This record gives sequence, structure tokens and C-alpha cells, in this order.
Amino acid sequence: MDLQNLNPSSLKSRFTARFLRALTEINAPKTISSSSPREIFQRYRRIKVAADKSMAYSVRSRRIWSRATLWRLRTRSRSRRLVSFGRRASVKTRTTASHGKENKEHHGAVLGVQAEELRELVPGGEAMDLCNLLDETAHYIKCLTTQVQVMRTIANLYSIE
Amino acid sequence: MLHRLESLESCNYNGMDVAVLEKQAAGLKWQQQNYVVQNSNLVDLCASSVPQFQGLFGSNLGRGQMIELKRPEVFLGSDDFQEFVNFPVAGPEFGDSEKLDLVPHEAAADYCISRTSSCQMTAHNTSVMKEEREDTILEKMESAIGSGKESFNKRKAEAVADHKSKGKRIKGEGESEVKAKCSTEISRDSSKENSKASEVQKPDYILVRAHRGQATDSHSLAERARREKISKKMKCLQDLVPGCNKITGKTGMLDEIINYVQSLQRQVEFLSMKIAALNSSVENLPMKEFPAYVANFPAAAKLPEMAGLPSYFQLNPLQKESVNCMLNESMLPPQTATEGIASASVSSSSGITQLQPFSAWNMDPQEHVWIYVRHGRYMKDEEPVQHTCT
Repeated sequence: MDLQNLNPSSLKSRFTARFLRALTEINAPKTISSSSPREIFQRYRRIKVAADKSMAYSVRSRRIWSRATLWRLRTRSRSRRLVSFGRRASVKTRTTASHGKENKEHHGAVLGVQAEELRELVPGGEAMDLCNLLDETAHYIKCLTTQVQVMRTIANLYSIE
Repeated sequence: MLHRLESLESCNYNGMDVAVLEKQAAGLKWQQQNYVVQNSNLVDLCASSVPQFQGLFGSNLGRGQMIELKRPEVFLGSDDFQEFVNFPVAGPEFGDSEKLDLVPHEAAADYCISRTSSCQMTAHNTSVMKEEREDTILEKMESAIGSGKESFNKRKAEAVADHKSKGKRIKGEGESEVKAKCSTEISRDSSKENSKASEVQKPDYILVRAHRGQATDSHSLAERARREKISKKMKCLQDLVPGCNKITGKTGMLDEIINYVQSLQRQVEFLSMKIAALNSSVENLPMKEFPAYVANFPAAAKLPEMAGLPSYFQLNPLQKESVNCMLNESMLPPQTATEGIASASVSSSSGITQLQPFSAWNMDPQEHVWIYVRHGRYMKDEEPVQHTCT
């Protein structure tokens, strides 16, 4: 694979730049005490949020899912300051959502059920019809693969150094 | 001759169809039997007009206009066909060429061509004669170039067959038959188009045709258009998701897509966990050249195994625990991450037991090769890790 410079304004480059910038911000203050699992876990959350945010910003709200992601991140950050156990609340909502999914399969058309599942997966998918949902899913998959590629590269580079 | 002009002008034909070209060419060909056609510039015309012709094809194939065409057999026996139908290349020009110097035949009255009905055949008027030479172009394309359009060949073949069935007297070579075939086929097509319902507005619309026996009211048409849009998008998604070539059907595809998206999201979580774990042991790397380097990294990210292996095993036990617990967390959603970490710290007392999963872990230098398991998840080999980790 060639190492020539790819398009500097491609999605990959934009995401990489933003994500690395966020990583430096996350790593900067925590160089000293960072071995406890709790610390690591906290950093993991921050990194994950940074990854999602970087990707959403790289797409620049051209897509419904990116707008929904940004909106969700902003409201979550706001609510987290108010609620003390915000982390547990978000985890609980995740579990209840998974239980609700199983109940839905019992009734309704199969296509509708799967569309519902897809709507839950793709951010902002609740208010989309099937046509737009498929479009958003395609773009979302493309961005996710880019994200995974870049993050894997970064992780490998980190592991080498 | 004026009445010819009027009859031809009365045709309310809005666009140009290939069929029209063929018909006109067929008509021309009939006339050529009795007259010497100047073939000096024929080759030039063919060469120059073929791309236009194909362009015309492209622009016209998308239109399902209704045309009223008659057989060119009526042209048989027409005497003065020196100047015949002249029609311009592209659609918009059709309204202009209305010069009709000489109408071939009485039978041409039935021959409703589009507004392009001027007959002028001059050797030097190459641009004019481009479509006039259509028949000859057809031959040339068929014989030498081997026409690039399948529909074109189809029409020719059908035209030939049809004409033979008519049993008309044909003079000359097969192209006259071809023209007749084209014409008859075109008339058939036009009648078919009458009964079909086609939505054709713009090139980027999805053409929906109601086949025989299907409802043609607007609701079902809209439904059908919507369904075709959705199936088109599903095909695009099929290209994105690996391993979906064999799956047909919407439900299976949707299942695959859902699995894939879930696995991708899990991968992102996992990788972020890994970065978090790794970052704690490494200092900040220079970020200047990173973005370009990272972005240019091969997509497969196959690190050289030799270089990657030794340093890769340097994860300290705690980091490995957290990584494994992160893995467990993604496997078993109900388990909260904090609980996982707590259990990991409990079990970290026996450090030796932790080594086993790590060996399975480290065996894959590429490390997160997410193997796609059909009917399952896109997961790495997680069995050994899960068994040993609580």
C-alpha cells in the first residue's frame, strides 16, 4: 500500500486529525496516575466519546445520524452534570432497551421488527422512514469502518512504541 | 407537397426516439432502392455520427414516449426520394428542422414522424444527413463496428424477422428488411407503450413500468417505485457489508446489516478501551506527523508480525484485565463495566491464572481480526478469554 498522502480533506483524514487532537487532550493531564482500572475505564469512556464526536464532526452534520450523535452527546454531557450517577443510568437504559427488543419480535411484521432494531442502532434513526434509514445506514457503516481502521492503526502504533 | 408538410407537422410527437430514427432510416432506405445514393461521404458520416447516434440512444432510451408510426413499406415505389427526411441529432433540435422540400410519397402521409421532416439530401450537408444515413449507419454498425447497443441489435433482428413474416417484396440487402423490422417493431412498441404506464420525468427518476396484468393506478405505481428504491438501496448495502453476496431476501440482509453494525460499534468500543489501556503506559507521541501517517496506514493494518509481537506483549496485567473486562462487558451487556472491573481486580490476586487468556489473546498479532461467523457475530475468538475470565 502506498504511503503517499491521501486526500487531506477526506473523511479519514478529518477524523484522524480530530481524534488525535482529542487523544492528546485526554492523555495530557493523566500521565502520572493512570494504572488503576478505574482510571483506565474512565479514560476509555472519554476516548469513546471523543471517537464518536470526532466522527460526527467530520461528517459536519450533513447526515441525520451525525446530527443526532452530536445532539445526544451535548445533552448527555449536560445531563451528566446534573445527575450524579449518570453512568449507571446510561448503562441501565441500555439493558432495558435490549429487553424491549425481544418483546417486539412477537408481533408485527418481521421487516418492521428489523427496521426497529436498525433504528435503534443507527443514531437518530427513530424518526426515519425505511428509505432514508437505509441511506443513513450505508453512510454510517462507511464511517464506522473508517473509524475502526483509524483506531486500530492508532492502537497498533501505540502498542509498538 | 405542402400537405405532406402539414401531415408531418401534425404529429404531436414530443421527443425523439430511436424508433423514429430507425423508421425514418427505413423509409429512406426504401427510397434508395431507386436512386443512387451518394456514398462518398458515407464513411465520414458513419464515423462522425455513430457517437451522436449512441448519445441519442442514451438520451432516448429513457423516454417512453408514445409514437404513432406506420410501416415504411408505404414508401415502396416512391419515386422521388432524393431528398428525404432530415432530422437533427439531438432532441431539442427537433423543432427546428421543418424544411420539407420534397415529400416522398403519398403514403408518407400516414407516416407520422416527428416534427423533423425536412427532406434534403445534399452530399455536403453532413450535419443534416446524419440521421438520413441511419440505415447505412445501421449496416455499418452491424457489420463493422458491431453496434454497441444491444437494443439496437435487438430491434434490427426483430425488424428483420417481422418483415420476413410480412412477405413484402424486398429489394437490396438486409438493411431494408432491417428497416421494416424496426418499423414494425416500433409500431408494436408504441402500442405497448400505450397500454403501459411509465413514470418518466427525469433521468434520475426510477423508471417504473407496469407489466401486463398489473395495476396502473397512481398508488400502486408509487408503491412499486418505493419498493424499487428500497431494493436498490439494499443492493448498495450488500456491497458494503462483507459476505452478503449469497444472501437474498430483505430479512436476511437486514439481519446481516444489523449484525455488522453491532459488531462495528463493539469494535469501536473495544479499540477505544485498548487505546485507553495502552495510553496509560506510553507517553504522548509526537502528533505532528501522526495524522498523515495514520491516515495513510494500510486499511488492512497488517503490522509486521516480527516488530509487533515483542512490544505488544508488554501490557501489564492490570491493563490486560481491564481490556478483558471490557471484552466481557461487550459480550454480556447486562454486566456493568464497573462490576467487571471489580471482579477482575478480585481475581487479579492470582496473577498466573490471568496469563492463559493473554496467551490466546496474544496469539493473534493482528489482534482484532474480527472473524465473521455466519449466523453469529463478527467476533474474534472469544471462547478462551471468556472461559478463564470471570
